[in-house]
Amino acid sequence: MEAWQIEYLPILVFMGIAGAIAVIAVTASWLAARQKPYAQKTSAYECGFDAFGDARSKFDVRFYLVAILFIVFDLEVAFLFPWAVALGKIGLFGFWSMMAFLGVLTIGFIYEWRKGALEWE
Amino acid sequence: MAGITLDHYLAVAAILFTLGVFGIFLNRKNVIVIMMAIELMLLAVNLNLVAFSAYLGDLVGQVFTMFVLTVAAAEAAIGLAIVVIFFRNRGTIAVEDISQLKG
Amino acid sequence: MIETFIFYMYATILVASAVMVISARNPVHSVLFLILCFFNAAGLFVLLGAEFLAMVLVVVYVGAVAVLFLFVVMMLDINLARAREGMMAYLPTGAVVGLVLLAELVVVFSNWGFAPHIAAEVQAPMAAYAHLTNTDALGHLLYTRYVYLFQISGLLLLVAMVGTILLTLRRRPGVRKQTIADQVARSSRSVEVRKVPTGGGV
Repeated sequence: MEAWQIEYLPILVFMGIAGAIAVIAVTASWLAARQKPYAQKTSAYECGFDAFGDARSKFDVRFYLVAILFIVFDLEVAFLFPWAVALGKIGLFGFWSMMAFLGVLTIGFIYEWRKGALEWE
Repeated sequence: MAGITLDHYLAVAAILFTLGVFGIFLNRKNVIVIMMAIELMLLAVNLNLVAFSAYLGDLVGQVFTMFVLTVAAAEAAIGLAIVVIFFRNRGTIAVEDISQLKG
Repeated sequence: MIETFIFYMYATILVASAVMVISARNPVHSVLFLILCFFNAAGLFVLLGAEFLAMVLVVVYVGAVAVLFLFVVMMLDINLARAREGMMAYLPTGAVVGLVLLAELVVVFSNWGFAPHIAAEVQAPMAAYAHLTNTDALGHLLYTRYVYLFQISGLLLLVAMVGTILLTLRRRPGVRKQTIADQVARSSRSVEVRKVPTGGGV
């Protein structure tokens, strides 16, 4: 194992501890608590009457638009990271290639703004 | 990389890809799960690219994986948008009904 | 030793959660298992030395794409029972295609090897970037040598953005909303201040 991989070992330990705690919490409550389910108890409580529908409610489609925008700009930021790290060595060409990329996405952003996709009616 | 060879990674990627293909056939009624199966296949491809990149000592595989990730994200965005408007117009997402879109 | 253990742990969870993605009863569970898949693939990427891609996988895929899937699953109120019926009918076809594909992959697997000239074909040998971190080395290639692909991916993101807006944005007519610019631009003359005598009324 190489040196930089050793640096990831704490994350692995952390994930192991997190998983162990999650498993322990669920199994301990499952083992320690008294389990006597019946239909009345397991049904959803909705102020005394039977539940009207599913607990899942539909989201508005505008949340979806916001999520798409998030993906696009998330990827933009993902491309910015190596650029920022290597900027000193890739020279002016690298700088302007990123500026062109950002310009293209800014066009999309302006389109979106003008279209009113960011507004909440 | 002592015990683990390139073959191990290729085997994992091959199983993942087969599962993705299988998932497409299994979930003909639910196009969202089909898109998730496509994501699995793309993940398998990415795993192959990165594994070859690591064992050949060629960095280009990782650069291409980055582009594959970009394409996959754009595909998911457009595909899910189509699913959303299809559901809004027809009230179902069963793939059989989508054949009516042609023509 | 520990590396072998980590590889098998990630690979096992990856394959198991991929099985759950395609076979889970509830699409929400499918999405959550897809997230687990991405996490384990990121672990394998780290094991292979692709640190940056592992982090991109976690940030972009777990953080955005999987959440998008979750949104859509929650947004479309799908009849679960209807979506499941006929799964058994498709099982034989899927199994046949999957097995054929698997058989092909096994055949490829048992016979493959590197071409003899492959070592000379390496485009960007990692040894040349050995003194740099993974992210730094990717930055050297991404913006200069592969600049066209980089710009095309930018255009692709633009197309995705515009396409999504065109497809899903629908203005509802007759919605009254606040126009802040108009409010701010109101002149002070539109408001009249009058001196009203006490008890006199207006």
